[in-house]
Amino acid sequence: MKKLLSAILAVLMVVSLAACTKPVDPEPKPAEEGKVFNLWTWNDEFWGFLVKYYADEKVDDFTVKKGDVTIKRTTYVSDNMAYQDALDAALLAQETAAADDKVDMFLAEADYIIKYVDSSATMDVKSIGVTDFSNTYKYTVQAATDSKGVVKGVSFQCCPSALIYRRSIAKEVLGTDDPTAVQEALSSWDKFDAVAETAKGKGYYMIATPMDTYRVFSNNVTSAWVENGKLTFDANIEAWMAQAEKYVKEGYAANASGVWDAEKTNEMFASGKSMCFFGPAWYFNFCMGNAQDPEKGCFGDWAICMGPQAHFWGGTWMLAATGTDNPTMVADIMNTFINNADVCEKLVKNEAQFSNNQIVNNKLAADSTYGNAFLGNQNDVTVFAELAKNIKFEHITPYDQGCNEGLQKYFQEYLKGEVDKDTAIANFKDYIKTAYPSITVE
Amino acid sequence: MDKKQKTKEKRSISYAKWGYIFIIPFFIVYAIFTLYPQILTVYNSFFEYYRDGLNIIGPNFVGFGNYAKLFTPNLSGFIPIVKYTVNTFILWVMGAVPQFIIAMLLALFFTSTRLNIKGQQFFKTVIYMPNLIMASAFSMLFFAMFSKVGPVNQIILASGWADQAIDFLAMKVTVRSLIALMNFLMWFGNTTILLMAGIQGIDESLFESARLDGSSSTQVFFNITMPLLMPIFIYVFITSMIGGIQMFDVPQVLTNGIGTPNNTSMTLIMYLNTFLGISKNYGMAGAVSVLLFIMTAILSTFVFKTISKK
Amino acid sequence: MKKDINTVAAIKLLISRLVVYGILIFLTFLCLFFFYLMFINASRSNAQLQAGFTMIPGGNTIKNFVNAWHDTNISIPVGMKNSFIVASLSAVLTSYFSALTAYGTYVYDFKYKKAVHLFILAIMMIPSQVSAVGFIQLAFKYHLTNKLWMLIIPSIAAPSVYFYMRQYLEATLPLEMVEAARIDGSNEFRIFNEIVLPIMKPAIAVQMIFSFVGSWNNYFMPSLLLNDLQKKTVPVMIATLRSADFTKFDMGKVYMLMVMAILPVMIIYVILSKSIIKGVTSGSVKG
Repeated sequence: MKKLLSAILAVLMVVSLAACTKPVDPEPKPAEEGKVFNLWTWNDEFWGFLVKYYADEKVDDFTVKKGDVTIKRTTYVSDNMAYQDALDAALLAQETAAADDKVDMFLAEADYIIKYVDSSATMDVKSIGVTDFSNTYKYTVQAATDSKGVVKGVSFQCCPSALIYRRSIAKEVLGTDDPTAVQEALSSWDKFDAVAETAKGKGYYMIATPMDTYRVFSNNVTSAWVENGKLTFDANIEAWMAQAEKYVKEGYAANASGVWDAEKTNEMFASGKSMCFFGPAWYFNFCMGNAQDPEKGCFGDWAICMGPQAHFWGGTWMLAATGTDNPTMVADIMNTFINNADVCEKLVKNEAQFSNNQIVNNKLAADSTYGNAFLGNQNDVTVFAELAKNIKFEHITPYDQGCNEGLQKYFQEYLKGEVDKDTAIANFKDYIKTAYPSITVE
Repeated sequence: MDKKQKTKEKRSISYAKWGYIFIIPFFIVYAIFTLYPQILTVYNSFFEYYRDGLNIIGPNFVGFGNYAKLFTPNLSGFIPIVKYTVNTFILWVMGAVPQFIIAMLLALFFTSTRLNIKGQQFFKTVIYMPNLIMASAFSMLFFAMFSKVGPVNQIILASGWADQAIDFLAMKVTVRSLIALMNFLMWFGNTTILLMAGIQGIDESLFESARLDGSSSTQVFFNITMPLLMPIFIYVFITSMIGGIQMFDVPQVLTNGIGTPNNTSMTLIMYLNTFLGISKNYGMAGAVSVLLFIMTAILSTFVFKTISKK
Repeated sequence: MKKDINTVAAIKLLISRLVVYGILIFLTFLCLFFFYLMFINASRSNAQLQAGFTMIPGGNTIKNFVNAWHDTNISIPVGMKNSFIVASLSAVLTSYFSALTAYGTYVYDFKYKKAVHLFILAIMMIPSQVSAVGFIQLAFKYHLTNKLWMLIIPSIAAPSVYFYMRQYLEATLPLEMVEAARIDGSNEFRIFNEIVLPIMKPAIAVQMIFSFVGSWNNYFMPSLLLNDLQKKTVPVMIATLRSADFTKFDMGKVYMLMVMAILPVMIIYVILSKSIIKGVTSGSVKG
C-alpha cells in the first residue's frame, strides 16, 4: 500500500514538475537515439501504411526495420477500454521504463484524443521538427492542440462527413438529384425541415433516425459539454433534441433506432423510404452494405452534398509520447504522412484514404475523369475537399465521448416513448455524475 | 474404550499438521494474487480516488463519504444502489427459479433407473452447450433476434399476432424476461450436471433398500435424495445467487450498457462498471463492492442457515 | 389381478417416458437453435449480416474460414494452443488444489479449521471484477503482462471450486474410510491421491469442465494482460477482429472464429462427461 501511495505521489510530482517546466527544454538532446521504436495501436490500419510507405524492411507482422532502428508495434484491442487502460499504465510508468521499452508514439481516436493531448504524457511536436502544417486541414491540427496552444501530434487522414442522399427519392421530393441543386435545398436546418415536410407529403422520411444528425450538431457547438466544471447543454445540442423530438413526432424520421442498428441500416435497401444519411467516405463500404447488396440494394442511386453544416466522423491521430528516446524518428514519421506528397497520394490512390494533405486531395478533386460508381459517378473528393476546410474541432473536453453517447442513449428512450423527457434528461445527468466524478451536475 | 480414546487423541495430535500442509498452496496463491488487490479495494472505498483524464485525483481520505454518496437519492429521485439491488434480485429470481426446477427434474430423469433414458450422452451434451457460447456473443444473437426488424418480429407480423412490430428491447417486461431466459438457457445445463453428479454420489444401496421397502418415488426423493443431496444443493443455490448478484455481460450487451428502459434492468455490477469504466473510480467502485460483499455474505448465511436447519 | 397392476404400471411408465422425452426434445431444440444461429452467422458475409437476420445459410462459410485463417492480426493455431494451455492447466490445478484444500479442512482437526472454512466462503462472495482491477495494476507494475502463467497460477485459489469439493466430500466421503486407510499404514498424501481422489472423480470431472470452459471463454483479464500475438488467447483474438479497421472489419469472420472456438470445448466436454456418468463412491466404499 505504502509503495503504491509513494508511486502515485511520485507520478503526481513528476506530472506537476513537468507542468511547471514545460516551456523550456532543460535536457540537452541525447546525441544517440534509441534503436527500438515503440508504436502503440489498437489495430493494424496505420501499421499497414507504415510498413508500405515508411519502413525499409518487414521483419514480421509486428516488427519492421527502418535504417538501424527496429519499429515494434504493441497492439491492444479497443474493446472494453483495454487499449486505453494498457496505454495509460504504460504512459504512467514511462518515467521509469527502460529506454527500449518506452512508448515513442501512439495512436488515438477523435473520441478521446484530448485526454492525451491535454496531458503531460504527450510532447510538443514543433520542438522535435514537425513544423509545417500548411497543407493539413485545420481541424486535424486543432484536435491535437492542447489548451495552451501546443501541438502534440498529427493525423494521417481526414474524415469529412457528408450528407448522403438517395437520388431517386430526391428526384421525387425536390424534383432533382443534382448535387448542387440538392445542396441548395438543404443548406440550412430550416430548409432541411421544410424539405422534411415535403418528403412526408410524398410518403418518404427525411432521415432514418435522429441519431444520424447528432454528430452534425455536436461538431458545431459553441460551448463545451463542461464549462467551469459544470455540465452544460450547448444551444446546438438543445437544437438537436428539439429536432429529434419533432422528427419522431411528425414522422419525418423512419424510427428512433441507434446509428448501428439493423432497423436503421435496413432503410438503405432499395425498399427503404429514407432520403438522407450522414457519413464520411469510409461509410460507403463499411456501413452501407445494404445499399450495395446486389439484390435488395440500390447501388448507384446515391449522391453526396455538404448538407446543412460541416462535420467529421472518425480519424486516427499519431501522438508523440513524452520521454521518447527516438524524437527524430517520431518527427520523421509524422512529416512523411502529412507533408510527403508522394506518400499522401499513394494513401489516396491505393488505400482509399482521404489524406491530410490539401494539395494532394485537391488534385484528385479537380480531376473531371474521376467518379465514384456507388454515387452515380459523382466525384465525391470534390465535395469532401470543400467540406474539410469548414470542419471545426472546438470546445472539446475529455468527457465528450461519455456525454455524446450517453445523451443519445438516454434521449432515445424518450424518443421511443419509454420515459418522459424530464426523466430521460435526469437519467442522462445521473449517468454523467456516476461516470465522471469531477463534473458538477445540477 | 481406552484404546479408542487413545487413537483419537493420537489422531488429533499427529494429523493436524497435514491439515495446514494441504491448505497452504491455496492460501499462498490467494494471498499473492487475490488478497492484496481485495484489501486494496476495501482500503480504496474510504478514499476519493479516480482519474480525470490522465490525471490521478486522490487518494484523499473521505471516511464513509463514498458510502454516504451511494445512499443519496439521485436527480431522478431514487437511491441508485437500492434500485439496482432490487433489479438484480428480480433478474436473478426470474432466471433461477425455472433453472432450479428444470435442472432438478432433469437430474432426476437422467439418474432414474426406472425411466432408463436413452441417448443420455446426447441430451447432456446438448443442454450444456449454450454455456459454451461466450456470454457476449450469446447476447449479440439475442439482440439481433429480438430487434424490431429481427426474425421474431418477422414471424409475429407474418402470422398476424400483432399488426405492429414489438420493440422487445425497449419494454421492461420483455427486456427482463429476455435476460432471465438467457440466464436460464446458459445455466440450466450446468446446474443439471452439478445436481446429477451429486445424486450419483449417493450410495446406490440406499435407493435399493428404499425401493425394497416399497417407498414411492416421491418418498424416495424427499426422504433420501434431497437430504443427501443437500450439501450440493446448497452449493448450487449459493453459487447461483453469487453469480446472479454479479450479473453483468448479458444485460450489459442487451441494454446498451444503460439498463433500458429507465434503468429497470441495470444491475449492480453494471453500476460498478459505470464507476470503473471511464474514470477508474476506485473509491466508489470499492464502496459498491464492499456493499456487494456484505449483501452476499448476509444472504448466503441466511440461505445456509435456513436450508441446513431443515 | 397381478397382471393388471403390471399393465397399469407399464402404461404409467410409458406416459412418464413420453412426457420426459417431450421435455428433453423441447429443451434440445431450444439449445440447438442458438447453435444453429451461430453457424448460420458464420456462413454469412459482413454485408449479409448487416442486412439483418435470416435462418438460411449464407454460402460464405469457406470464405470466412479462409479470411479468419489468413488474418495477420491473429493466428488461429497459436490462439487455440494458448487457450488450450491456459484452460487445461487451470482446470487441472483448480480442481486438484481445491479438492486438496477441501480435504484439508474436512478431514483434519486443526485449531483454525472452522475459521479457515468460513474465511474461504467469505472471500467467495467478493465480486471478482474488483480484485481484477488491482491485479492488473500489479501486473503492469511488475512487468508481468504477456505471461500465460499469470492466468494459470491464480486458479489454484478458487473459493467456489473449493466450496463444491467440500460439499461433495461432506455428502460422499465417510471418515471411517480415511481411518481404515491409516490403519493400513498409508501416509496422508497417498490416502488423498489414491483413495480420496478416485471417490471425487465425478466432482473433479465436473469442476474441470466448468473451469476449462470458464477460462477458455474468459475475455476480461486476458484482454488487459495480453498484446503479444504469440500469447493471445482465442477470445482476445475475436476481440482483435472486432476492433479491426473498417477496410478489414468482417463480422462473418468474427462469428466463424466464435464457432471454431466452441468445437474444442465440446470435445473436451464429451471426454470428461464420461467420468461424471458413473458414481464411483459406492463401489469404492464396498471395495
